Amino acid sequence: MRDTYDVVIVGAGHNGLTLGAYLARSGLEVLVCERRHEEGGGLCTEELTLPGFLHNVHANYHTFVDMAPPVTDLELREHGVEYVRPEVQMASVFTDGTALVIHSDIDKTCASIARFSEDDAETFRRLHAEAYGYIDLLLGTLMYQPPMSVKELTKALSAFGVEERSEFLSVKLRVETINRFLDQHFTHPKVKAHLAFHGAVCGYTNDVKGLAIGFPLLAGKIDNWNLCVGGSHRLAHALWRDLAQHGGVMIADADVEHIVVQDGRAVGVRLTDGTEITARQAVASTVSVEQTFLEFLDPASVGEELAHKVKTKVRHKDWTLFSVHLAMDRLPEYAAAEFDPDVNRAWVVNLGYGSPEELNADWATIRAGGLPDPHPNAAVNSLYDPTDAPAGCATGLLRQFAPFALADGGEGAWDEIGPYYGRKCIEEWRRFAPNLTDDAFLASAVFTPHDIVRKLPNMIRGDWMMGEISLDNMLDQRPLPELGQYRTPIDRLYMAGSTQHPHGFITFGPAYNALAIMAEDLGIEPWWRKV
Amino acid sequence: MPVIYTADWYSAVVEAINAHVAGLRGVPEGAWTCRIEIAGDGVSPYVAAGEERHFLVRIDGGRCIWYREVLGEEEEGTVLDYRFSGPAAVFDEIAAGVIDPVDAALHGTVKVRGDMRFLMRQAELVKTLLEAYATGVETKWPLGAPPYAVTGGSGDATTAGAPTTAAAATRGPADA
Repeated sequence: MRDTYDVVIVGAGHNGLTLGAYLARSGLEVLVCERRHEEGGGLCTEELTLPGFLHNVHANYHTFVDMAPPVTDLELREHGVEYVRPEVQMASVFTDGTALVIHSDIDKTCASIARFSEDDAETFRRLHAEAYGYIDLLLGTLMYQPPMSVKELTKALSAFGVEERSEFLSVKLRVETINRFLDQHFTHPKVKAHLAFHGAVCGYTNDVKGLAIGFPLLAGKIDNWNLCVGGSHRLAHALWRDLAQHGGVMIADADVEHIVVQDGRAVGVRLTDGTEITARQAVASTVSVEQTFLEFLDPASVGEELAHKVKTKVRHKDWTLFSVHLAMDRLPEYAAAEFDPDVNRAWVVNLGYGSPEELNADWATIRAGGLPDPHPNAAVNSLYDPTDAPAGCATGLLRQFAPFALADGGEGAWDEIGPYYGRKCIEEWRRFAPNLTDDAFLASAVFTPHDIVRKLPNMIRGDWMMGEISLDNMLDQRPLPELGQYRTPIDRLYMAGSTQHPHGFITFGPAYNALAIMAEDLGIEPWWRKV
Repeated sequence: MPVIYTADWYSAVVEAINAHVAGLRGVPEGAWTCRIEIAGDGVSPYVAAGEERHFLVRIDGGRCIWYREVLGEEEEGTVLDYRFSGPAAVFDEIAAGVIDPVDAALHGTVKVRGDMRFLMRQAELVKTLLEAYATGVETKWPLGAPPYAVTGGSGDATTAGAPTTAAAATRGPADA
């Protein structure tokens, strides 16, 4: 292995690979160091249960893939990435046997909502149309640009008179919860429950003040969920191919233990095996703020003030995900299919939350370290990607909102309680899909919040968004004001992972925006900037 | 009164823009080149269906220093800062003051590409430029004046500057 590159990137998740691929295409010599045995980070697909059953261990849902510049800039489809946008995207099944179904066709979605409330269906149609109109503008403004401040945005929205032009965008959203937004605009608890559930799956907890600001955008993406055919890892592999084809290098099992700083400038990294690698131009970290500033850098380089802020001001989500991966010999058949047959074709199904209040109660339990009675959501990728299981079989994924550390025993208690809780989640699924008898499950594997950090230690406390989603941890305030523009106080050290704006999820945004900043600093011609 | 999309009309637009901007304070320095792409949609009688008319606009220090029509591939190498594209009927109705240009952008009928941060940070300037375009020139419409019934613009051309509805702005060729 060579010992000198132009840029060294820490972490080969989708952000690290994306940044590396763009820089390699720009003619730089790039090295991406990955602690694990393979690239991808959260884009991890494994045969967790039985041979031939492909389970997305972490990232399963990819939204707005057609609007993400890297998909075209890096020719990811030519590298083998294929997405399916399921016709029946999502559903909620309720204890009374009814179901609300979200289709990729807005007319069908509104027809489903209208079965609960015609007024809500009409409101949703207006909200969705409005959001779809400005989604392009919003993504261009907020997702794929280094962030502006909330103050700047508010001033601009005021100057353009957006509040008067929009039924659903208001300055007041900055101080309101999603619950409040839903109460203001919708009437039926089940409609509100599904919309709140969708927000939560996107990381926007419905009872957190200020997150109403993101809700119109969430409504716009409710039917833009995409499945990566062959497993999410295919995306990581495509990114790696692009990196490699343009001369970049990714090395696995390359565990960075130190970022080398000389005269206030980042000049390379040292691996745990003692290998030292020089970075002529820059080092970029895509792992957590804590790892980067408290583990990889000398305290003297970081300084007491920043170190203190990283320890005390960087905040993480107060809930995480408990997962059960299943190998099955049949597809679920929901009792609610009598009410709406399309529920059997829904990619993701919310099992049982019938009102926002039920979600609120679970958040309270979770924040106290308790285990709520399971209301998992069930995804069956095989419905839309038959390649992920042997013929006639299917994979299943149950995801349950959960605490990272249990009040009784901390995160370590998950090892003992995980299998039991997994069975409870399966029982809950069976309550709504009675055909999933014991013999339907060929094998199962639980993946607990503790497992998340063992596999992906950059997801501190199981925080899959790599930073709390709250109004004061958004835009240029994320993860700290002094790190909010991808630069750090250390010259030529950049932050380019999901700790940064916009946030976690498969958006490519942190890397794409960090790239813009690095291009300015390193004098790279931004060939990717297509106007 | 110049006819829409003629050389005289472009000159009048430039004059109107500069007259509007003259009253603004804090206009940023720097120059920007914008490309406006107007697609014939079978509704506007001024751009044939399937045809496209492209215009380059140069703004320097907040003033429009030139505004000219280019052929589709001509000046393809020009470094652009912004690109605005949309159906002809919508652009016609904007020029007639029937559709509000901010509404058109907000509702996605006119697509905007480029560094949105600048547009947001210079909202007052952008708004002034758009207002000048939309209401600053008294335009002659020899083939009929907007609003075109199928796009649903409210009022008629003599009501330039009148407020419009979001519904009007959202309608485009797909409804035609």
